[in-house]
Amino acid sequence: MNQIGFVLLSVLAVGSALSVILQRNPVMSALSLVVTIFSLALAFLSLGSSFVAVVQVIVYAGAVMVLFVFVIMLLDLGRREPFKLTGVGRKILGIAAVAAFLFQISASLSAVGVMGARPPEPLPPGYGTALAIGRSVFTDYVYPFEAASVLLLAAMVGALILAKRRI
Amino acid sequence: MTGYAQLDLAASVGQILPELVATAAFLLAVVVDLVSRRRKEAVCAVVLAGCIAGLVLSLAQLKAGQSLIFAGMAAADPLAAILKAVVFLATGLVALFSLGSPEIRMSGRGEYYSLLLVVAVGACFMASAMNFVMVYLATELVTVTSCILVAHAKDDRRASEAALKYILFGAAASGVMIYGISLLYGATGTLSLTGVSRALVSGQVPGLVAVLGVVFVLAGIGYKIAAVPFHFWCPDVYEGAPTPITAFLSIVPEAAGFGLLIRVYMLGFGERMGQGWAAAASLDWPSLLAVVSALTMTLGNLGALHQTNLKRLMAYSSIAHAGYILMGFVALSKTGLNAMIIYIIVYLFMNLGVFAVLIGLSRRLASDQIASFRGLGGRAKFPAFAMTVFLFSLTGIPPLAGFTGKFYLFAAVIDAKIYWLAIVGALNSVVSLYYYVRIIKAMYIEAGETEGGPIQLPALYTALLVALVVPTVVLGIFWGPLAGMTEASLRFLF
Repeated sequence: MNQIGFVLLSVLAVGSALSVILQRNPVMSALSLVVTIFSLALAFLSLGSSFVAVVQVIVYAGAVMVLFVFVIMLLDLGRREPFKLTGVGRKILGIAAVAAFLFQISASLSAVGVMGARPPEPLPPGYGTALAIGRSVFTDYVYPFEAASVLLLAAMVGALILAKRRI
Repeated sequence: MTGYAQLDLAASVGQILPELVATAAFLLAVVVDLVSRRRKEAVCAVVLAGCIAGLVLSLAQLKAGQSLIFAGMAAADPLAAILKAVVFLATGLVALFSLGSPEIRMSGRGEYYSLLLVVAVGACFMASAMNFVMVYLATELVTVTSCILVAHAKDDRRASEAALKYILFGAAASGVMIYGISLLYGATGTLSLTGVSRALVSGQVPGLVAVLGVVFVLAGIGYKIAAVPFHFWCPDVYEGAPTPITAFLSIVPEAAGFGLLIRVYMLGFGERMGQGWAAAASLDWPSLLAVVSALTMTLGNLGALHQTNLKRLMAYSSIAHAGYILMGFVALSKTGLNAMIIYIIVYLFMNLGVFAVLIGLSRRLASDQIASFRGLGGRAKFPAFAMTVFLFSLTGIPPLAGFTGKFYLFAAVIDAKIYWLAIVGALNSVVSLYYYVRIIKAMYIEAGETEGGPIQLPALYTALLVALVVPTVVLGIFWGPLAGMTEASLRFLF
């Protein structure tokens, strides 16, 4: 059951990812990306990693996608020629890049054995849940957490100063 | 390990009082900025109070022993305490400088002062980080906030260009550093500096990964201290930024960067050997740093020779000084680290002094060009005299503080029997005399426009110059107490 679900989700993720790059309309690409992100989130959920799944939806499907759509609308890409690489070596470069990528993937897969010849070690109970992450963030990582909040606050103040004409 | 006591979370809070007070002052400053009528003065007062409280609390930590706080994320030890004190002292002085600066006044905003405090807090994080998560967050905090400060005069095209260069170089340096950190994490399974050191010593880390990690982390730290080859941003940013920010960048990120260098390389990539320290797993980073040090001071000094803009000249001069300070680290000895700390403190006074003269006179000078200093010796007697003292001190001429600093640095290098580096350093000091004296020559010997009449320095700047000249002279004659204090702050490491 779990296996079938995982395969279905994977097919959906890969299919919608292909659609992201094959669509001519950038807004359709963005919408396909939403489907990719949701299917990835569900895949994470089926692996028992609820926190990552939720973050995936909130951060990527929520915030990042809104940003993408904004950029697409502001730049008004629809009426332009799609981005084109020019130059003599672009086919050679492209083939070389694909070859390097395939080599990398096959090397990594053969190093661990395809589909993991070595069974993965069982995770400790409660690993990756919101409870465990929250506990860790507010105990072991509380100092970096607070440092990050100072950083974000300062960046926000700075963005306001730099972006606003008159304060 | 060097006997760090691990404190629990509740007890840890007591060890970060300087940072807490500074952060509280920052938040208060933001609120005061919204409600106060005389916003700039009020915000500056809050920020100054924060700096003074931070300075006092940091000095109080000097004798507090050493402990790991917040689950090993940071350390509370005398080395961190002394660097925090330097950071707060410099931040307070720069906040005072900025009060009368026309460049800051024009933009007329209070946020400027509160962001100074944020950089100071980030510098404190840098000086005390014991975990790569903190190393990265602290450097980002300092970089991002410094960049906002540089860009703060946003109508000034040069400042915007400088800010863009600063953030691009910073992003690249951070990227390289975090890549190095990720390699080290992958190979060691830990982000704590002491854990990385243990793993390196045990030999479980593949050689190439260790070398790449150690070199890549240097990119992030080298960017902060403006060491060659990560110094390219320095001249443009120094020239384009408002002068008080240039003064700030020349000391606060630099002091914190050296603190981080000591911590990451000695505790993270080094191991204790009897009374001293050595590179872990025969990774020869001390030699690498020796070469970086020699290149940094040579390129800095050669670059400064032909500059006509004083701020650009000071940028190359600060690159050269970063090279001198690195020289102390290469020795990996107590005398070497002691020399670094002494030099950073001395450098604070003399370098801020030069900028104080520049800011104090900025209303009356045509430009930042050295040519506009012509004939200043007759028109502004005290500022010209103070400038001469600072410049001679930067050269390292006795009996000024710069000589004390250089004396300690050279003694440490010769002590460690790295003679070639000492010779390179000595030759570089001779070269530096040429361009510092060019400014003095312009002030006293070359004739300038005489119709300008005498220049009266604002009282604030006269007081500041006195406050900076006195330590520059006194520490050149009577440095015992300072050297004693810095040495005591390093005792826990050796």
